[in-house]
Amino acid sequence: MIEYIIMIIGILGAILALAQRDLLKAAILTGISGGCIAVLFQILLAPDVALTQAIVGAAIIPVFIALAIYKTHGVDNND
Amino acid sequence: MNDLIPLMVIIPIIAAILLNLFNKNNSTVKILSFVVAIVLPIIPLLANYGTYYFGGHAPLTDYGTFLSLFPNSILNTLHIGITYSYGSMQQILIFFLFIIAFLAILTTIGERKKISGTYMFLMFMGLASVVAMLLSDDIFHLYIFFEIVIIAQVGIVLASNHKEKYETAMKYMILGSIGGPMLLTGIGFLLALVGSVNITDIVHVVKNGLINSYSPIFLLSFGLIFFGWLYSVGLPPFHTIKSDMYSKATPSGSALLQTLSVIIFISIGLAIFRIYNGISYVGTFIIFFSLAAMILSISMALTETDFRRIIGFLAVGELGYLGIGFGIGTKLSLTAALFQGLNEIIITALLFIGFGTTLYLSKTSEINKLGGLIENNPKTGVMVLIGGFALAGVPPLNGFQSKVMLIQSALDKGFPELAIIMILISIVTFMTFIKIFHSIYLKPKPKDLIIEDNKIPKSTTFTMGVLIIMCIVLGLMPSLVVNGFNAFIGGLI
Amino acid sequence: MINTQLAALLTSGSFIIIGLYAAIFLDNIIKKIIGLSFIEEGANLFLITLAYRADGIVPIFLSGMNPQWFAENSAYPLPQALVLTSIVIGASTLAVMLAIAMVLYKKHGSLSTDEILGDKNE
Repeated sequence: MIEYIIMIIGILGAILALAQRDLLKAAILTGISGGCIAVLFQILLAPDVALTQAIVGAAIIPVFIALAIYKTHGVDNND
Repeated sequence: MNDLIPLMVIIPIIAAILLNLFNKNNSTVKILSFVVAIVLPIIPLLANYGTYYFGGHAPLTDYGTFLSLFPNSILNTLHIGITYSYGSMQQILIFFLFIIAFLAILTTIGERKKISGTYMFLMFMGLASVVAMLLSDDIFHLYIFFEIVIIAQVGIVLASNHKEKYETAMKYMILGSIGGPMLLTGIGFLLALVGSVNITDIVHVVKNGLINSYSPIFLLSFGLIFFGWLYSVGLPPFHTIKSDMYSKATPSGSALLQTLSVIIFISIGLAIFRIYNGISYVGTFIIFFSLAAMILSISMALTETDFRRIIGFLAVGELGYLGIGFGIGTKLSLTAALFQGLNEIIITALLFIGFGTTLYLSKTSEINKLGGLIENNPKTGVMVLIGGFALAGVPPLNGFQSKVMLIQSALDKGFPELAIIMILISIVTFMTFIKIFHSIYLKPKPKDLIIEDNKIPKSTTFTMGVLIIMCIVLGLMPSLVVNGFNAFIGGLI
Repeated sequence: MINTQLAALLTSGSFIIIGLYAAIFLDNIIKKIIGLSFIEEGANLFLITLAYRADGIVPIFLSGMNPQWFAENSAYPLPQALVLTSIVIGASTLAVMLAIAMVLYKKHGSLSTDEILGDKNE
């Protein structure tokens, strides 16, 4: 059962990340959906891939995006 | 000595990493890149034909009782590690690739006072990736180096001093990040069907009818891989962005970029041809996109006024000839396509570097503002003219030989229309070339054109001389390379 | 009855579609890049889903296991090894794109794709 919940959280996180006006929130939500995918990898019998994805998808990518946003003072003005 | 085969990939990568390390130290970068570039072309000549198994994972033959459940024909071919196969085609293409890379690096060293180690890093990284793509017999390996070569190409463009390079690079990266995962998904579908990512294994399974060639999943994987291929080589709908990339890079950079594209075209194209040959309309598909590339890019070249963009479009249009060779799919046409690819590498490098000297003298690339440069550098003018003749297919240069072979193969297969279109496009290409040549070199010099008194570096003239010699030698003695290609294709079909 | 593999396939499909939508229709360049990272993650999830085996075991061979039993019950390790590489490549591509986006912001003072990459300006 838990895998379905995680899948739904991941997809919702992705949609919400793209709907945010404040880009910093979008970066954090990207991290959430990346983390959900990492858990899914664990459920799908790939623990070593899950470790990599947990580091890259849930930590490194959001930090990169947040850094870029910090440098560009970015707010999405168009919706 | 099969151990030399992986060295062709490993040495450029090590050189690239070292060059990046010594970024600040100008003379070290110069010497190191020059030495490595000289050593590289020797390796393909010394290496023996054969296969190299990474980690010593040879194909499975006897692995105990469990594997005896499978038929022997599969067991003898099932590759469990990454395999590099090295034959006559790889030898010729890698040798010329390394020569062109050496010339590009020489030109860069000659034209710039300060050499950036990072730029050399990108050149060597791109080089290593395409060599790996040519050698590898593993479709996932192709995908990895496909992604690396995108980053290398973008980096080469960013190293120029064109005003709008970042915009073009961003567009190319965005499209690449769509094309890459598409290719990966296609590989995933193939993996789901076959259970292996080795091309020889996949071909074995498809040929023996173990999977249905017309099953929707197989067709879907074809579509996705084909999409990635179109993107990486710049066939329509990606011809505009590809020619944009060419026009934004430095002359030697664009020469290398075109070389990378041609090699990617050949390596992924051969993989597609080998795997999906059984589907009857794959050839038609490839021919359609190639014709579109030729016609669209030639018509866009006619409307442009910036000579770098015109040559960019001409270079993309020339790729269409290769595609037609792959699409016809006979032994003669594939040989001709490989030969045409090799000629394109040489000729477009000559044109990019030759017209690049104009930029060196006058700092503008608008053909309306240029003129009369034949007085300032007659030598380069004549060399560029020879390059243009080779591009259009004037005998006895190399472009003529490969185009005749292509036209012959189209007639043999029963497509006279294709042959006529190829001849027509070739004539229009020549007209376009003459238009640029006339407005840069022959037409009277406009009053407001300031020609700086820069001497053209000796290394650039030397590079063009070597390229012209290669054009003439290949034109007079095509059998030097055609026999090798023929032997390779004969083993394939 | 829906099973885990099918649900995971649907998830990967929706990630790819969400990412494609973002990459094509959204105007903000950072959001486009986030969308591209979703496409990449969807493709990775797709490969891992292919390797999954219902009621199987993790493909780590411990001493004392029967090879035949292991081969019949473990997930397929090849796609998992491929995805490891693919994740790292995706992250590095993303980093390069973000760096270019930062330079473009400095040049144009905007994150809107229409203003940065549009053909009309200049």
